Amino acid sequence: MSEHAFSRRRLLKGLGATVALPFMHSLYPSSVFASTPTKRPQRFACLFMPNGAYPPAWTPTGTGSDFEFSEILSPLSGVKDKVLVLSGLMNKNSISRFDGHYTKTANFLTSMPITRTVDAKVNAGGTSVDQIMAQHIGNETLFPSLQYGIDRIRSGVDLAVGFTRLYGGTISWATPSTPCPREIEPRFAFDRMFRNHIPGKKPLPPDPYKKSVLDLVKADTKVLERRLGIEDQNKLGEYLEAVRSVEKRINQPANLEDFAARITPDVRKELQKMDLRIDEWAEYSEGVDITKKVRLMIDIMVLAFWSDASRVATFMFGNSVSSRNFSFLDGVSDSHHSVSHHNRDPRMLSQYQLISKWHIEQYNYMLERLDAIPDGDGTLLDSSMVLFGSGLSDGDRHSPYDLPIVLGGRGGNKFKTGQHVQYESKTPLAGLYQTMLHAMDLPSQQFADGEGPFCELLV
Amino acid sequence: MIRALTSSDIEVLVTYSENQARVQHSFFCIFLRTVQSLIHSYGLILVCLFGHLLVTAETPADKDFHKNVRVYIRAHCSSCHNSAESKGGVNLDVYDFAFNVARRGQLFQKVVKAVEDKTMPPNNRTRMTQAERDTMVAGINRILDKALAKKDPGPQIMRRLSHREYGYTVKDLLGVDFDALAYFPSEASGGEGFDNQSRVLYMTPLLWERYYEAADSIMRQVRADDDLWSGLVPKSYQPSVFRRIGNWWKGRGDNPIELWSKPAIRARETILPLAWKTYRRFLDPQEEEELLTFFATVYTENWQKKNAFDDALAVVFKRMLVSPKFLFRMEANLPTNTPYEVNNLELASRLSYFLWSSMPDAQLYEAAYRENLHDSTVLRREAQRMISDPKFKRFSESFVPQWLGVQDLVRNHQADPNKFPEFTSSLKEALSQEVIEYFNYVFKQGDLLKLIDSDFSLINEELAQHYQVPNVVGSEMRVVHFTEQPRGGILGMGAVLAATSLPTRTSPVLRGQWVLENLLGTRIPPPPPDVPDLVEARGHVKDEFDLRGLLEFHREPSECQGCHQKMDPIGFGLENFDAIGRWRDGYREGTVAIDASGIWGADQIAFDGPLELRSILLQDKDKFAENLTRKMLSYALGRGLLFLDTHTINNLKNQMIKSNFKGEDFLIGLVNSYPFRHRRSDQVDQYKDNVL
Repeated sequence: MSEHAFSRRRLLKGLGATVALPFMHSLYPSSVFASTPTKRPQRFACLFMPNGAYPPAWTPTGTGSDFEFSEILSPLSGVKDKVLVLSGLMNKNSISRFDGHYTKTANFLTSMPITRTVDAKVNAGGTSVDQIMAQHIGNETLFPSLQYGIDRIRSGVDLAVGFTRLYGGTISWATPSTPCPREIEPRFAFDRMFRNHIPGKKPLPPDPYKKSVLDLVKADTKVLERRLGIEDQNKLGEYLEAVRSVEKRINQPANLEDFAARITPDVRKELQKMDLRIDEWAEYSEGVDITKKVRLMIDIMVLAFWSDASRVATFMFGNSVSSRNFSFLDGVSDSHHSVSHHNRDPRMLSQYQLISKWHIEQYNYMLERLDAIPDGDGTLLDSSMVLFGSGLSDGDRHSPYDLPIVLGGRGGNKFKTGQHVQYESKTPLAGLYQTMLHAMDLPSQQFADGEGPFCELLV
Repeated sequence: MIRALTSSDIEVLVTYSENQARVQHSFFCIFLRTVQSLIHSYGLILVCLFGHLLVTAETPADKDFHKNVRVYIRAHCSSCHNSAESKGGVNLDVYDFAFNVARRGQLFQKVVKAVEDKTMPPNNRTRMTQAERDTMVAGINRILDKALAKKDPGPQIMRRLSHREYGYTVKDLLGVDFDALAYFPSEASGGEGFDNQSRVLYMTPLLWERYYEAADSIMRQVRADDDLWSGLVPKSYQPSVFRRIGNWWKGRGDNPIELWSKPAIRARETILPLAWKTYRRFLDPQEEEELLTFFATVYTENWQKKNAFDDALAVVFKRMLVSPKFLFRMEANLPTNTPYEVNNLELASRLSYFLWSSMPDAQLYEAAYRENLHDSTVLRREAQRMISDPKFKRFSESFVPQWLGVQDLVRNHQADPNKFPEFTSSLKEALSQEVIEYFNYVFKQGDLLKLIDSDFSLINEELAQHYQVPNVVGSEMRVVHFTEQPRGGILGMGAVLAATSLPTRTSPVLRGQWVLENLLGTRIPPPPPDVPDLVEARGHVKDEFDLRGLLEFHREPSECQGCHQKMDPIGFGLENFDAIGRWRDGYREGTVAIDASGIWGADQIAFDGPLELRSILLQDKDKFAENLTRKMLSYALGRGLLFLDTHTINNLKNQMIKSNFKGEDFLIGLVNSYPFRHRRSDQVDQYKDNVL
């Protein structure tokens, strides 16, 4: 049943039977930043795919700018000149004798070994690269960083391997021991940033005492600290840190006004459409259509970049060992994790390939959206770095070598895109993170096992 | 003995020398502390200065260890479990002193078990004689027993309310239904696998934001509901007409700070009782004053508005709901080296969050205030009352699905909708409910072994249709005996059977693993990483029928064999239940018969079908008792279990077996146990600042 034909909401909202237009279907000539000649802000997003991809089906043929996409990567052909396919990279510190998945997920962006524990010493070895960026450039936006996903984090602990499943559901780490929780509901994610800017929706009433409450609960922690032990104090420290981050946002009215100013009529139109799409999705497609949910989350990230609500975002297509059922794809009859253990059976491999390709289609969707929004002389994609990757290559062997990695966007015209670069086997993935930090002019002398930025990628 | 000393070495030395009564608080300890602080402050690394101390400080316990244990470790273990190889992640080469062994108690308990069971050293190595085994085991046990002799309740870090607890607390405090699990970002688990474990209850900016919005929306709900509001604010305050004119003349509202002004009295009467309940303790005078002052500020700034009094109260309540005093369950940290009983109010909270996932009720507070909750008669009486309260069902709702690993069924389980269109969310809800209702029922009936084996369950019409049982009408869950098929107990529940299946078919391996791990507490090591994982996922499997042959092939001698011969037979015993828990007589529309026979355990007992499988599992009730004890204790304490919990676990387990698996007796024993009622100080470390 097509949702459009029956959308009660649409009728109620007086939009009649208009067909739901895809996100930003038309280009608006004026962009938020179109008139400002100053340095364009750089954005970073990471889309994480669980369960890997089969290298022979993934790797493009040819290197340099003269290369052919593989079948899996073929959806990217429209933005071929704006992506970099990087082969041969590995995350050395993800090798573990205990486990094949958790240790290759939690540290995807930290590149450090994670601590084997069910709770006491949860530690990803380092702060993840997105959070390092957020700490440096996050202050310039209302939301230092966003963490999105589509599945609830898997609960329980894997007592047999000795890991909490938390590790399988987190790639962003604010500190080595503090995982960032993910938003998985489009409505929450959207409202958090845009609730008061949706045309036709009454803004929430002002809260004149929020600031006083913040001060009071901060004072609570001061009083309590003296009565508590060390570990309790650390917990209170987390609390205080959380309060401060909220405080920062509301204490600087200038930030809020700047943000409101960036909600141009163009953005506002998109907000209205998004608002409607989220309602429709919740009414008709929730729990049914995963592609739609992914696209909503992606569109929210794009809106965040466009309105400069945030410049750093991570997104997980699933928890590690995801057994998502992909039988909605033609030719797939099994779950993701099952087909990733294909044993080179052609029937399994073809399903594995179709599922990987679906992920790339969603990634491509994000790149094309970004590329449709003018930003300065170019597009939002030109000023962004959108990383796609997995912590495994061949899921059948849990292989940490030759990871599937694509970097989309030019990061502010810093990257020589349109290439397939084949690195020597076992080149640290951390080097790419150093390159991105470098492109953002952030200190990157050391990052995990990285041996320095990949200068050949930079303009 | 030449190596760099780090501060942790010194810590070890201090602990060590403090343990030796003869040098307690001696000059030696003070001296070591000084050295430690020097290391912290100046990063000094002292090389080999203390080498001779380490050597000469050999105690009788060390001599015993060297003579009766270390020789055998060197002779039989070190060749694999050494610093270079650390086979299985175990390195036994570094233990030179008795106190080191005590510090890694859990590891050495495993060593004892492996040596006793003769699983180590492996067959292809030099065998140990029985006498050697006995000497070594006794030697290790002497050290472990000594370490366990000193009672220790273990670390207790303050716990943030889990989402579930938040929801129930708000319900009991304010009367509002609030779906906290949906509203807050989903969370992971720790310890033995529960969501109430302090270390993984993080506080993050996003969550705090949500807490604030939640408080806002909760207070709006309360304000909008006259019944709820008048329950919280029995006497509101509206200035009289004359008063209003007077106020208008003065240009300000009634001063609520003036001690005896009417709004001040009313506010005090309303705010303080709620604050005690919200913070689960009495308030300091300063805390009381701070709340009342905040009220006064808000009230005076809005005095002209209608309902200014009530609105100002709502702001104060909101402020309490986002305070760490509400969001965290805190316990006083006393400056003492000996563990102490938590105070009565703290114990009341421990009880109520364990049994009700929520705050104590008035009666429990009353008992805590007027009597001694640590008194075992009082504690038993209160625990019994709480267990018979309807709120105890929350324990089943929270603990059971997490223990059995079916908590994700409704939101996360992915059965293939094309293959199993019957598996609707309404069915999933009912299946989840069945697990909870059943546990609740057999718990009250008094026999937890019924979890493993029985011939009934609690089902409604929807489930009856799913299970093909006639004559069950209506949505209410009731006891139904299965006369036609060998269903019954949790192994016959669709929730469990679906949670252990893949989206398109059953998985004997997952089911077998599930039984071993979740019921018997036997850990099955994962397949070695970087080799194909689930054996059954290899090609050639079109449907379940092919699996048996494939798995049997893979159970021929190989590295897979050890574990698969334990897991797979159990799973095959349950093959008559399909991937969503329906009964089936055969594969491929019943055309191919199902072989549900297998051979179980070291004793090679043959069985056929779920009925016989269950009765065989019953024979392992000691393992079941230990596993359930561990799960409940970890859930109760909000932390993973440690070596120091050994005695508590053993006592509780024995109690469970002795009481014939009577749930209530077990829980009463648990809340009476040492770690549940005690706390050890987490002292402010004077060196802490230097460390960071």
